[in-house]
Amino acid sequence: MVIVCHACDLAHRLDRLADPARVRCVRCRAELYRTNAASIDNVVALAASALGLFVVANAYPLVALKVNGATRATTLLGAALGMYDQGYAAVAALVLFTAVLMPLLQILTFLYVLPPLRAGRRAPAQNALLRILAALRPWAMAEVFMLGAVVALVKLSADAEVLPRISLLAYGLLMLALAALTNATPTEQLWQWVERSPIERGAIGRSAPPRSGA
Amino acid sequence: MTAPVTGRSLGLVVCPRCRATVRLPVPERSFCPRCEAPVHERRPGSLSTTAALVITAALLYIPANVLPVMHTHTLFSDEDDTIMSGVISLAHQGSWPIALLVFFASIVVPLLKLVALGEILFAISRNHVRQPAQRSRLFRMVEFVGRWSMLDVFAMSLLVTLVQIQSLATIQIRPGAFAFAAVVVLTMLAAQSFDERLLWDTQSRG
Repeated sequence: MVIVCHACDLAHRLDRLADPARVRCVRCRAELYRTNAASIDNVVALAASALGLFVVANAYPLVALKVNGATRATTLLGAALGMYDQGYAAVAALVLFTAVLMPLLQILTFLYVLPPLRAGRRAPAQNALLRILAALRPWAMAEVFMLGAVVALVKLSADAEVLPRISLLAYGLLMLALAALTNATPTEQLWQWVERSPIERGAIGRSAPPRSGA
Repeated sequence: MTAPVTGRSLGLVVCPRCRATVRLPVPERSFCPRCEAPVHERRPGSLSTTAALVITAALLYIPANVLPVMHTHTLFSDEDDTIMSGVISLAHQGSWPIALLVFFASIVVPLLKLVALGEILFAISRNHVRQPAQRSRLFRMVEFVGRWSMLDVFAMSLLVTLVQIQSLATIQIRPGAFAFAAVVVLTMLAAQSFDERLLWDTQSRG
């Protein structure tokens, strides 16, 4: 089969690929192809745990601040929307989207698309969702939010007592689960699950004969 | 030296979403047979879109660094913080590693992105790309580290929410924060809209 590099357009002929495999472009070193040993079940289990952690991360306070006996706590959603109260709706929306909604979208897409695939069915709008997932991946920023929280807490610790709460731990674990999820689902792997799922819908995939009229 | 065999020379393109290599029957408007995303030989308008985003981001980089991003009010003081003064106060506080981290994520990385993307765009527009491998590596690094600039935005969001203890201490957001967030978003969009293959096309024409 021929694989063209997405980064430098060089064509590569590959005779047989091991599974799992990882192939880099000989000219520009971009990753051309990666599959791994994870099964759909692994990924579904990981996504389900991530969903549980997401719920906990949202259900309880994230951090609390104690100054002169007065305590103030905030939840994840509160922290994302803090700027909204001060009239910075666009920045608040950005924080909400990257730190809260994108991780949720990732988790829900996997939980919606993969179980039907395993049963040989296609969830409605599966392809559109997988495309959106691929396009929006750089905007999922759980790990950046976590480090941002550390920076904020270090700043505050100079003048006040900072009390990390249960949701901060849950969010930290969520961050790890999301990283594992991303690592377990390279683009090629996801689409191979689609292609190899028992019911083939028309001539999809490289091994299929060329479509008539194309 | 013979020209390398490229997708373009074979009439093949890579789907931008699912990375399938597909034959391009109709050059203007085709869809990936695997994921149904529109595929193009080169991303349409990549150079001008990226240039527009880089220029806008470069203009906003100035207010992002000059204007205050936060205002802290306590019983004893009222002070404005810029991105840089935030870094300095972290350093004064003795948190050197964190201060360095914020300095890189908020000041160095956005500047590096703007310079790198600007230089790449300039070289391509002059049709004169030397050492595409190095430029590719630079571009990928820029693309990879770009999201970490959101660090300060997240930190500010949390600070603003927590420090609202009326009569004792409050923190308010100032317009610099908007400019800063816009720089991060625009440079990320610029990197995403850039078609890396443009770096290599001059080599392939042989």
